[in-house]
Amino acid sequence: MHVWPGNGRRQALAATTVFATAALGLAACGSSGSSAPVAASAKQTIVFAESGLGTEGQQTQTAINAFQKANPNIKVKIDVLSSDSTTYLSQLENSFTAGSPTPDVFESDVTYPAKFAQAGWVLNLTKLHPDLSQFFPTEVAAGTFNGAPYAVPWFDNPEGLYYRTDLIKTPPTSPAQVVSDAQKAMKTDPSLKEGLAFEGAKYEGAITAFLTVDSAFGGKLDPQNVHTPGNTAALTWLHDAIYKNKIAPTAVTGWQEGQVEQEYVSGHAAFSINYPFVESLATSAPVKGNTGYIPFPAGPGGTPGSALGGEMLAINAKTAHSAAAWKLIQYLTSSQVEVARAEVTGDPPSLPSAYTSALYAKAPYFQNVKTLNTYSQPRPVNPNYLTVSNDLQVMLSEVFANTKSPAAAISSEAAQIKSDASATPSS
Amino acid sequence: MTTNVSARRILPRGARPAAGGRAAADRRLGYALVAPAVILLLAITAYPIIANLWNSFHFDNLSYGDLPHKFVGAQNYTKMFTSTQWIAALERTLAFTVVTITLDIVAALGLAVMLNRKFVGRGLVRASILVPWAVPTVVSALLWKTMFDPRAGFVDYFLGAVHPAWSNLTWLNASVWRSWAVIFVADSWKNIPFVAIILLAGLQVIPNEVYEAARIDGATGWQAFRRVTLPLLKPALVVALIFRTLQALLVFDVIYIMTGGGPGTSTETLSFFNFYTFIDSTDFGYGGAISVVLVVMALIVAGGYVRFFRTEP
Repeated sequence: MHVWPGNGRRQALAATTVFATAALGLAACGSSGSSAPVAASAKQTIVFAESGLGTEGQQTQTAINAFQKANPNIKVKIDVLSSDSTTYLSQLENSFTAGSPTPDVFESDVTYPAKFAQAGWVLNLTKLHPDLSQFFPTEVAAGTFNGAPYAVPWFDNPEGLYYRTDLIKTPPTSPAQVVSDAQKAMKTDPSLKEGLAFEGAKYEGAITAFLTVDSAFGGKLDPQNVHTPGNTAALTWLHDAIYKNKIAPTAVTGWQEGQVEQEYVSGHAAFSINYPFVESLATSAPVKGNTGYIPFPAGPGGTPGSALGGEMLAINAKTAHSAAAWKLIQYLTSSQVEVARAEVTGDPPSLPSAYTSALYAKAPYFQNVKTLNTYSQPRPVNPNYLTVSNDLQVMLSEVFANTKSPAAAISSEAAQIKSDASATPSS
Repeated sequence: MTTNVSARRILPRGARPAAGGRAAADRRLGYALVAPAVILLLAITAYPIIANLWNSFHFDNLSYGDLPHKFVGAQNYTKMFTSTQWIAALERTLAFTVVTITLDIVAALGLAVMLNRKFVGRGLVRASILVPWAVPTVVSALLWKTMFDPRAGFVDYFLGAVHPAWSNLTWLNASVWRSWAVIFVADSWKNIPFVAIILLAGLQVIPNEVYEAARIDGATGWQAFRRVTLPLLKPALVVALIFRTLQALLVFDVIYIMTGGGPGTSTETLSFFNFYTFIDSTDFGYGGAISVVLVVMALIVAGGYVRFFRTEP
């Protein structure tokens, strides 16, 4: 039975082809480039991309609402992207490679600004005359590329060593003492499952855990020169913690920050390497009131260890609303707003001046955080950091799984790390 | 009374017959109905393949957007074929493919033969063995990862009941062979039922008379299986082998969820290597080359199977 008479069928096919071609054509067209810059006083809408969920997301919304009230001509549309960092980065990159002027302002992990700056996706902030001396210097350095600032510190998350003050009366003063304290604690308290919990899974967090320990042995994570005695000693200490001194379980190879926090907060670990958020979760026995938080104690020839984490704020290079975007950044990084955020979400302020007695009254542990922020080490500020990070993760994973000795792992990966860090495609 | 039956009488009043007759008209109708789906498929599959092929012969790194997208010939391919990491990933992927296919086909064949017999509850069993395959791989990988967790999982719990020292084994990322073991378990749990259902369908079309004839000729159970069942199962086997081989060659989600390629790079497969070339290194030229080679490998495999199992002379 014929449904379509001859002419109609041809018309239908033609219509389908035209529609499909038009759809593909529209999809292929990217958005137009940036137009003339819009003044800060003009009425405008800017898009702010961030990844916060839960209390963080709510606090951001609260801050944005207050900003909009103070600046009635600027409307801020919050674009909540994935809370998974790999997906978040991909989502941002999709917008940037399409040449999109939005998001106008966005949140950036401390390891991304160099990559974004190299690719020309973020605005050079020099012409906005930022006063970056008011922030913690290591985080400012993370947002600096080729001497110019590309991102402003929003919150500064240093990683440090947690310990149970009821089991370890005085804080350890050397890496060797961490080991002996952990072993003693495991003997005296049978409810402990391990002496030390840290992030040993194959991901970025393992690098920050290593970095927390690194400077205590005089090590420095310089991709051009990874095979140093200090780095080898730090890696050996972590390896021996699992396989020689047995203060950490092999299960650490599956642990990220969440599992390490659970181990510590449920009283299974005497020591743990983690970020400040654990303090706000240590609210019940046996850790309540029994938690100490210090930089990793220095050994001979080393300095106290802490790894830099945190988020920064940056402006899209293609945006026409850089003036309004800059106003938003200045607002979010002002002392009052940062303190309010710290009190609610536990995100440590990136301004040393925000660490006031009022803040300490609300949450005393911020005193420890300020100390840690003075020692925190950044990861290499390099546009190829993600590739370097992969190599470092491979190296750490081999050591934590004991498939290679620390010295062998470092020496075999060092050349690869150096070449990946310095790789620049020849034109 | 005689009537002239002609094409015109069959058509509704007022309609013209289509050019070329009914068969040609039906063909054109077929094309028209398939056209939208084909255009969509071409857009989704052909466009990325061609784009990757194009990119693989150029320099294309997103992080260096200001550099020109220039033609570099086979540079990305020579880089890949001389890269120790790629060669190692290739070896691992091929080894994984061979082992997992052998495991899956043998186990699935046994399962299919069992399900072909009559027993109480057969319908329920046949329906329930498809559940693993219906669960998305990411979900099943996460589930198995939790089950093999030394603190939260049941595997160590039961092992510990057998032998106390085994109650605290770390499986993933703490040992190469244990990581692979868990990956095989998660992958096979999902895929054996799928292969079994395909083989079961193939078994069901084998007529009973053939078995009766074999029995009359004095064939044992094993001989009947080898000489009657297996040859007649060839079409279903080809389908199952093609599906499984391609899935195993391109395996990614199980690796990504369970080990992230660890410990070190010992569970890194070609797809995973491809993934972080694109995502972490944002190198679309090199990544394109890796993708193209993967596609070519998949085509060779599929074509090889069809040729090898061809039954027509």
